[in-house]
Amino acid sequence: MIGAEVTFDVALPKIVWGWLVSTNMWAKSIATGTFLLGIYFIKKYPEQDNFFRKWLPILGLIFIGITLLVTVLDLHHIFRFWKIFFHPHFTSAVTLGAWVVSAFVIVLLISFWSWATGNKKLLDRVMIPGFILAFFSTIYTAGIMGEATAREVWVFPSEMISMLLSAMLAGSAAYLIIDALYGNILQEKVRRELGYILFGSAGLSAAMFIGELFFAKMHSEFSYEVVKVLAFGEVAPFFWIGIVFAFIIPMMLVGIANEYRRYRYAWIASIFALIGLWLIKHAWLIAPQTLPLS
Amino acid sequence: MRLGFLVDLSRCMGCMACAVACKAENNVPLHSWRLRVKYIDQGEFPDVKRHFVPLRCNHCDNAPCERICPVSALHYLPNGIVNVDHERCIGCASCMMACPYNAIYIDPITNSADKCTYCAHRIEVGLMPACVVACPTHANIFGDLDDPESEISKYIKNHRDVMVRKPELNTHPKHFYVRGSTVALDPLASERPEGYTIFTEVKFLEHIGGH
Repeated sequence: MIGAEVTFDVALPKIVWGWLVSTNMWAKSIATGTFLLGIYFIKKYPEQDNFFRKWLPILGLIFIGITLLVTVLDLHHIFRFWKIFFHPHFTSAVTLGAWVVSAFVIVLLISFWSWATGNKKLLDRVMIPGFILAFFSTIYTAGIMGEATAREVWVFPSEMISMLLSAMLAGSAAYLIIDALYGNILQEKVRRELGYILFGSAGLSAAMFIGELFFAKMHSEFSYEVVKVLAFGEVAPFFWIGIVFAFIIPMMLVGIANEYRRYRYAWIASIFALIGLWLIKHAWLIAPQTLPLS
Repeated sequence: MRLGFLVDLSRCMGCMACAVACKAENNVPLHSWRLRVKYIDQGEFPDVKRHFVPLRCNHCDNAPCERICPVSALHYLPNGIVNVDHERCIGCASCMMACPYNAIYIDPITNSADKCTYCAHRIEVGLMPACVVACPTHANIFGDLDDPESEISKYIKNHRDVMVRKPELNTHPKHFYVRGSTVALDPLASERPEGYTIFTEVKFLEHIGGH
């Protein structure tokens, strides 16, 4: 006897977590990345801190707002979202994430108030808790993906590292874009450092993805099939365009920008990086969902 | 008490009585299934074989759906059943992403996660699950895994080929199969051709029951 094929099965939804979840992760990378990098640059370059004290809360609130909006929109019971606070189940990374992000929103609001009133001490007081909350806001989704055991390629801690790198990539790209939009108001050394962070995080992220794709040991048939879907299957266009947009082009352009002091290339690199980041997150999210589990 | 299921695949004839009984008992809407029977054809004419595999929630001892649910909508009953609280569910679908057996769906009417509960409401009043009662060949064997005298315990003891689905994930399912095969239990072991097959279109539905 040769071959076997399924001749009858009952349809179940294929993609359960779609573009809303991809957007959640993408926007959260920007919100947390701008906070983490903002704190770093405020500390390192206090003479330039006005830029970061202004844009850290503004970008943070806009993008964490998008994150929360798409998260609630993705619920099938939108108006029951409050139950996560009143009936929490603390073994779930979803619950932990909801609490951490809510606390992070409070820190962002304080940061905004600090900038609006010119009371710098206010932000200084919440820097450390804010840094911790931004860090955990970035990685909690990796915890969720790690708990989603049906999709074996979403593995903690590699997801966690990937998400931290995404935050660095998105944060540096967002600041470079704002800097360019407002006529290069940052000092050159700050702009260059943002470029290096973008370059480094793109390079390390690319290495992780390519390493996992071509060199990692596949522990199961499922993982092997997911890699095939990503590299050659229906998700491949998202994945490869994402790799090129998020990592390859930004590395080249930022390299040119920093080497030849042509900083408009860094701005273009940042646009590519943010578009590519969404594509790569979307590819990574939906690829394991295309395989049958039953 | 630790309730479990066992399916003797050599007895299953793919009549779908269990699936229909389940839908009727639990008011399962169209396009949704708590229990379904998958058909797999193996071989080339005239040397062919058809496998029937009833699939339902595995009520894992180490249930990923229970762990990931942010509001404890999926929870354990004292008898080991993984039950669903529809009123508590927020519809985040995390359980669907965590369940390696594709046993959970979002009910398009209630918008809440749902799945096989081993007919917990029937168990409570001393009845057997609806699918057990409906099965004409007694392929579905249900009972207390902790009781060595129960039929299911004896079945497990007397058969060497007791299998569970995806044991490598350490979910410790309480749903067993005997006289099964890799082709029957591994979702990647069989092809799933697109388009119409002998019975139906093997195609996933678009996301249902929500946005």
